[in-house]
Amino acid sequence: MCALSFEARHWYPGGFSLDARFETASARVTALFGPSGSGKSSIIEMIGGLRMPDKGYIAVGGETLFDSATALTLPPERRGIGVVFQDLLLFPHKNAEGNLRYGMRRARRDGPEIHLERVAEVLELDALLDRPISALSGGERQRVALGRALLSRPRLLLMDEPLAALDDRLKLRALTYIERIVNEWTIPVVYVSHSQAEVRRLADYVVVLDAGRVIASGPPSEALAAPGAMQLKDASGPMNLLRVTNLRQEAGRWTGDIGGHRIVLPAMENAPGNEVYVRVSPEAVLLSRDDIEGVSARNHLRGTVRSVVEIAGACFVGVDVSQIVWAEVTPAAVRELGLKNGAPIFCLIKTHSLRVLE
Amino acid sequence: MGFTAAELEAIGVSARVAGVAVLVGLPLAVALGRYLSRTRGRIVWLVEVIVMLPLALPPIVSGFFLLVLFGRSGPIGRFLDDRLGVQIAFTWIGASLAAGVIAFPFMVRAARLGFSAIDPRLELAARSLGASRLSAFATVSLPLASRGILAGLVLGFAKALGEFGATIIIAANIPGKTQTIPLLLFNYTNQPGGLEESWRLVVVSVVLAAGALIISEVLEQRGRRRVRA
Repeated sequence: MCALSFEARHWYPGGFSLDARFETASARVTALFGPSGSGKSSIIEMIGGLRMPDKGYIAVGGETLFDSATALTLPPERRGIGVVFQDLLLFPHKNAEGNLRYGMRRARRDGPEIHLERVAEVLELDALLDRPISALSGGERQRVALGRALLSRPRLLLMDEPLAALDDRLKLRALTYIERIVNEWTIPVVYVSHSQAEVRRLADYVVVLDAGRVIASGPPSEALAAPGAMQLKDASGPMNLLRVTNLRQEAGRWTGDIGGHRIVLPAMENAPGNEVYVRVSPEAVLLSRDDIEGVSARNHLRGTVRSVVEIAGACFVGVDVSQIVWAEVTPAAVRELGLKNGAPIFCLIKTHSLRVLE
Repeated sequence: MGFTAAELEAIGVSARVAGVAVLVGLPLAVALGRYLSRTRGRIVWLVEVIVMLPLALPPIVSGFFLLVLFGRSGPIGRFLDDRLGVQIAFTWIGASLAAGVIAFPFMVRAARLGFSAIDPRLELAARSLGASRLSAFATVSLPLASRGILAGLVLGFAKALGEFGATIIIAANIPGKTQTIPLLLFNYTNQPGGLEESWRLVVVSVVLAAGALIISEVLEQRGRRRVRA
């Protein structure tokens, strides 16, 4: 397998600095997750050789691509790294096939075996080959860009928010194509995204970035639940931010109210004021038709369903408990629980999954 | 229309003088246009002023500078004459040089506009697909800018055909050697009854100029559409 070691420090003229280090070990799909401006795209450009860090070390599969200590910089054409750009950057003067063949002619001989016929089959490009780029739809261009990068037979495939330009319906389809690529050819992928839903679905390793720093890394369930990652706004999935009032101590635990509901807070370093805000990931909110006894979740909030939103295969249910609490469930659960607007429902939240903003 | 021998000769000289001027200048204009499209700074500004200067300068002054540099006693002229036996002043090469100086700014400007319209990251995409810097330029930027470059070439050719002031200084007005269409026209207008004689060459000039403008405009529009695809 082809592990990536990345370590870079870079100072930008505007005062922003990047200082990031991570390794992907044996991950098939590594996600770089974080808000816009967190440095994700810069890292992709540095790995691809399209931008030089001031200091650092980058290696893929044991081969050093960049090392500031020995002033080694491999030019992009000799790195064997495919890039799917956010704006695709297809060649407008070539048709779909011309774009696909561009990297093929120049492919490294030591790269994985990838053939045009098979790529066209997997990405359903056969009918598009002789069309000019201007005659392709957004989703079709996306597939041509994926195929073009693949056919350069890279040992690592970088994708910089490849779905950013697509609407939700097309996103879902595009994700399927990316999954097909990962399953068919065992090329490791580094995938940039600010969407938790995409990251959960695709990645088996996540590097969470904020303001140019790595704030968490690991398997998706761990990395995305880390305190730093919790505070990131997620453009495609709602993040709960709840106001807790009337703080008091009960049996040694800080307790407060959300609407009329009692909520037990996790331990805090400093004594809070009269009210605090807490964040909780929609994934950590369980829904139940009945107020069940004998569960470990201590906070039971009774409310009514206000909205059900489907994003990239996951359903987000907005429950009104005086404030809106979002819960992430599967489409099957939505059917089975009969989650419709106006339906009464209980939100179960473990105290442990609440993060207090102090 | 019944051209005279002198007129046919002048049309031939014009075609050769202007053709050589733009073809020799083309590679340099492309290189310079590309450089100016990607670089900012004081040096760029200075280069641009020098290249564009002949557009604003009286052509006689351009001719004066050419004569000072390329004349038989000028530093470059003497060097070329002594070492290579090539004479610039009062030959068709001199006329071509004068025409080139006038055509060059048009070609550089068109090339620069052509390259500026292209997303510079397309070349990066090409390089990530394995193309060297030169190959990325030759297979992506150059074809995408080609319509614009060609438009500049055609317009430059039209301007080169009409060069008069600098040509008469550096190359004089020698029938069959340096006498181009405008120079012959100039002779006609100095003769009694010359205006009648002039019509044929005037029509040729108008047709060439209008044709060049139309071709240039069409090329430029196609080029723009292509880049946007």
